[in-house]
Formats: sequence, structure tokens, C-alpha cells
Amino acid sequence: MNRRTIVQTSLATGLMAGMVALGLGKDEPQSFSKDVPWRLIAWPFPRDAWLPGQAWRRGALDVYVRPKIGFCGNCDTGVVTDEEVDRVTDIDLLDERFVPAKDGLAVRIGNLSGRARLYRYTLMGGGTRLAEGIAVSQKCDLIIAVIAGNLLDERERTAAYRHLESSAVQDWISQQLEGR
Amino acid sequence: MTRQALLIVGFLVAAYPLSPSVAQQQKVGAPPESSNMRLVGWTDLQARSAYQPTIHRQGDRWIAYIGHHGGTDDVPTPVNPLTGKPEPNGTSIVDVTDPASPKYLRHLPGQPGKYEAGGAQMVRICDGASLPKGDKAAVYMLRTFGGEAHEIWNVANPAEPVLLTRIDGLKDTHKSWWECDTGIAFLVGGAPDWRTKRMTQIYDLSDPKNPVKIRDFGLVGQEPGATGTVPTDLHGPISTGPRGNRVYFGYGTNKGGVLQIVDREKLLKGPKEPTPANLAAPEVSRLVMTPWTGVHTAFPMLKTPIAEFARDKDGGTRDIVMIVNESILNECLEARQMVWFADLSIEKAPMVVSNWTVPEASGNFCQRGGRFGAHSSNESMDPVYYKKMAFIAFFNAGVRALDIRNPFQPKEVGYFIPAITDKTDKRCVKVDGQDRCKTAIQTNNVETDARGYIYIVDRANTGMHILELGGEARTVAGLK
Repeated sequence: MNRRTIVQTSLATGLMAGMVALGLGKDEPQSFSKDVPWRLIAWPFPRDAWLPGQAWRRGALDVYVRPKIGFCGNCDTGVVTDEEVDRVTDIDLLDERFVPAKDGLAVRIGNLSGRARLYRYTLMGGGTRLAEGIAVSQKCDLIIAVIAGNLLDERERTAAYRHLESSAVQDWISQQLEGR
Repeated sequence: MTRQALLIVGFLVAAYPLSPSVAQQQKVGAPPESSNMRLVGWTDLQARSAYQPTIHRQGDRWIAYIGHHGGTDDVPTPVNPLTGKPEPNGTSIVDVTDPASPKYLRHLPGQPGKYEAGGAQMVRICDGASLPKGDKAAVYMLRTFGGEAHEIWNVANPAEPVLLTRIDGLKDTHKSWWECDTGIAFLVGGAPDWRTKRMTQIYDLSDPKNPVKIRDFGLVGQEPGATGTVPTDLHGPISTGPRGNRVYFGYGTNKGGVLQIVDREKLLKGPKEPTPANLAAPEVSRLVMTPWTGVHTAFPMLKTPIAEFARDKDGGTRDIVMIVNESILNECLEARQMVWFADLSIEKAPMVVSNWTVPEASGNFCQRGGRFGAHSSNESMDPVYYKKMAFIAFFNAGVRALDIRNPFQPKEVGYFIPAITDKTDKRCVKVDGQDRCKTAIQTNNVETDARGYIYIVDRANTGMHILELGGEARTVAGLK
């Protein structure tokens, strides 16, 4: 089984478990993603301490991914607690006052394991949305992903996870961890 | 070559130490690189990766206590030649009364585990005679035990330490501060319910056998139950004690640095519940660094006279804090971590006024292997160097001696990059999927003693080098 197959298999498994365990919010926007291809967009956030990552959009669904090299709190165990997801997540790029919506759950992306958690954040003009923060690790290095969009729609989350397992994302992640 | 020619060559080599500008990757057997700093003595520290050295005068002896990281993948538990047994890295205790001939007295094992997951990185020493409720005959060593605990030992006989107290159930214990005149200790670690890896637990250790918890402390947002962004982890505090009434907390290593200036009395006597209001109350102000840098060490130099400003009507003395960031990635895979000087004379408006780094091109340090960049400074406030010189551990660029009499314009006056040995551990990065490893000195920490000796220790297992100043550097310090 090659790495990508492992990624796809484990992501699909993780996704199903994740959807059941996390539950979904009630005030998400409508889905506009059906049959629309993913496209790479400019990193939409101001520069911070970490290098900008990659951002993709499909309709109303966004996926943001970037490495945080050397940032794992425990290089031996990886990301195993919700507190660690809270600490390392990029949900604060959407809103620094994010609030957890649910307990997290363990996820595995290929040979990288970690944890995902659902958060509620406030939009600039008011109103709240849900976003999912994912943190997986390789030794002391983290790969952080955020899924933002209509997380009420399971098909949207499925699409986001499938995109994370796509060659476009996986190749980019491998490239980021290449020097480690 | 004639004898005369050999003498000339020999003279030139001796007179002009190897210039870093021509040096590349280090080789076993090659000489150290230096300027105005000379090697006095060396001990291999049993080839254990080293963190904090603390040098303490005990009667007519000088004893160095050196904290260690955990073991390596290759050698997880080095053999202690004194016992003949493998022991997890812990604390080395070395008699440095004669710095030219350091005597290794004892290795005190730490928590099993590799790298930052084991060992006993941090160590501070206080005399029982100085602590308000201490045993006058005792000398107390406060050390971390891996990441899970703080321990206090009686090291009056440094070859036979006795464990007195343990504060455990923690995570990521690290760079604590202990006021020897009051016993107040600012213990760094992670309490189980806090949202951050590292915060402060303040204890009264005036009677080291009976620790008394005062309170937990951290940045607002790190406390239990908070939501939103988790502020940067603590790295370590330095207190000026009751007289200065300030504690300088450094948050961050190589990113998201914050220098928090705290009113010590309000911190110790204020309400203790970790609510946002109670955590904010003792804060005087904070200096938020660029997110590219951390605050590993925040070393206060209050009321520093600035000769350049001597004739100015105001501002002739300044409250300065030297901030040192920590480089954590090999071969420059991050923003440069260096030294910053902040003027806190007007506390509500702290401002960085200068910085200093080793010029990379002076030694092609990004290509030498391992980390390049600052890690820490000496923390001794002995008069011999205080407010005159600072020593900065700069990983593969060795130790750097700075003239800081004018902190607005710090100037390097000496350096020493130790030679590597066959015990020096490699540092690797991946290139095209393969490990590419290089061996380089990794000067991790530095400390000075009241006699003026400088002690540097190596993260890559090369031991401890004891140095003294020469030339211009010696003049700056006012040493004969």
C-alpha cells in the first residue's frame, strides 16, 4: 500500500469517526461546493510568526494548511490532548476568541497522527460559524489544517478531508517536511 | 623548511588565531577558534548534553552544577565512569576550585528519556545560611527532574547529595528562578489544568524541606477555562527581589516573544485565584517582540549608567533588560535569534533600543551544521561583569563576549568556539529524503563566577570549557 493509499484509507476512517463524534453546529452557511473544483487561493491571513501556508477553496469551503516546525508540545506523544490542539491550532486566524464546540478526537493522516477539534468562531460582522482545527505531527513538527465552511453538511467535510488526502496537499506536506 | 622558518610559522599561528571567516565545518583535532578568550580547563561531563551551569562558592571550594538534557538516540544512558554503570542524564557536579584541573565529583541521574523528554536541565543553588528558614550548614540545590518535577537536594557535601523535597505531577518543568535571600521560587512548568505547556508556580522555599505554594501565574488566556488563542508559553523569569520589586518573565523561545514586567509584591500578595483579573493585576507592562523572536532570557540591568548620556539633563541612567532569543532549528531554518536590549526606564513604554548578532558570514555558520543563533546569556550578577560585559551562548558560533557598558551600542570584544571531539554529537537535516549530518559545537549555556571565569557547556556532548578573558575584553571588564 503506498503512502497516498494509506492517507486516503485512514482519512476516510477518521472522517467517519470524526463526523459522528464531533457533531455539527446549527448556523452554518449554505453549501455552494457541489461539483466545483478545488482551486489554490492566496493565503488570506496577515503575516505572523509562521510561514504562510497553502489555502484552497471550493465554493464556500476553505481549507488552510501549513507546517509549524518544532512546535509540538511533546515530541514523543504528539498531539494527544484537546488543550494541545487549542494551543497550536490556526483557528485564531479566523477569530482570536474562538471557543471549542466539542471535545476533540484522535485522527490519523497517513503516517501522521494527531487530533481534531470543532470550534465556534465569530465573524467580523457578527454571527458565529464552526470551523475544524486539525493538528498532526511528525516528531517535533506539526502540520496544522483548518476547515472552514458549512460544517453542517457532511458532504462538505467529506470533501475537505478528501482534499487533504489528495496529491496536491499531500505532496505539498511532504515537501514541507522534507528537510526534517 | 628551516628551523627559523618553522618558528616564524609557529609565531604567526599563535599570534593570529584561526579566523572564523575562513573556517568551515569543524573537524576533530582542529584547534578552537578564539579572540580575547583563552581556554583554562575542560571536563567532558561524561559526554552528556548540557543545559544550565551554576557555579557556587562553598567555603573555600568552587563547585559547578550542570544540568543535562536526556540522552540521545545513539547513547540514551551514558556510562558513568565513576560507577561503571549506565545512568540517565541528570546533574553533573564538578569541583572547579582549580579551573585548570576540574574534578568530576558526582553524576546525579535524572529522569530517563531522550533529549528534552529526560534529564534534569535546570539547576539553582542557595546557601542555607542565606535562606530565612534554611539549615545554616546546608547548601540547597533546586533542580528539575526531567519534565515532571522539581527537586531540592542538600549538596553541602557535593559528592554526596541528599534528596530533601520533591514537587511533582507537572509537565515541561524548565528554567526556574530562586531568590536566595527570601526563598521565593518561581518554578517553571506546566500545571495539569493550565492551557499552556509552561507557566509559573510560585513557592515559598525559605524552608526547603517544607515548600509552601503561593500561587499559579501566567499570561491571561493561559489559565484553566479560558478560550481563544493560547498566549506564548513561558520560558523563564528573573526576579530582582524585594528591593527591585520586579519580576521579568520571558515568554517564547524562537517565536511570539513577550517580555512581561511584573510588580513582585502585588504578585506575591495579590489574590491568588487564576482569574483573568487576578492574573492581570500585577502586570506593570509588557513588551511584545516581533513574532519571529522569542524571549528565552530576560536579564535585568537596572540603573545602568550610560556614559554617552552623562551630560544629558535626563536619562543618564537607564533600566535595561537584555533579551536573548533561542534558536531551535538546525542550519538556519528559521528567523535569526539574537540579543536585544530594551530600555524600560519608563516602564509603561518599554522599547527595544539595540540588538546584536554574530555576523553569519564571519564563519559561514549556516553551513557548519547544527543550530546557529543565540540561546542564552550568563545570569550571574556578580560585580566582576555585571553591567559591563555579557556572555552569549551562540550554538555553533560558540560563546560571544559583549561590551555592554553602552547597551545602546553593544560591541563584541571576544569569542571562543571550542574544538569538537570524537564525542561531539552530529546534527542532521534531510536532503532529498536522506539524512545529511554535520558535527559542530553547540554552545548551549554560559555562566560566570565571581572570580571572572566563564563556563560554557555544549548541547552536543562536548562537555564544559572554562575560559578567561584576554586583551581588550579583559580591559573592558576592568580585570588586571
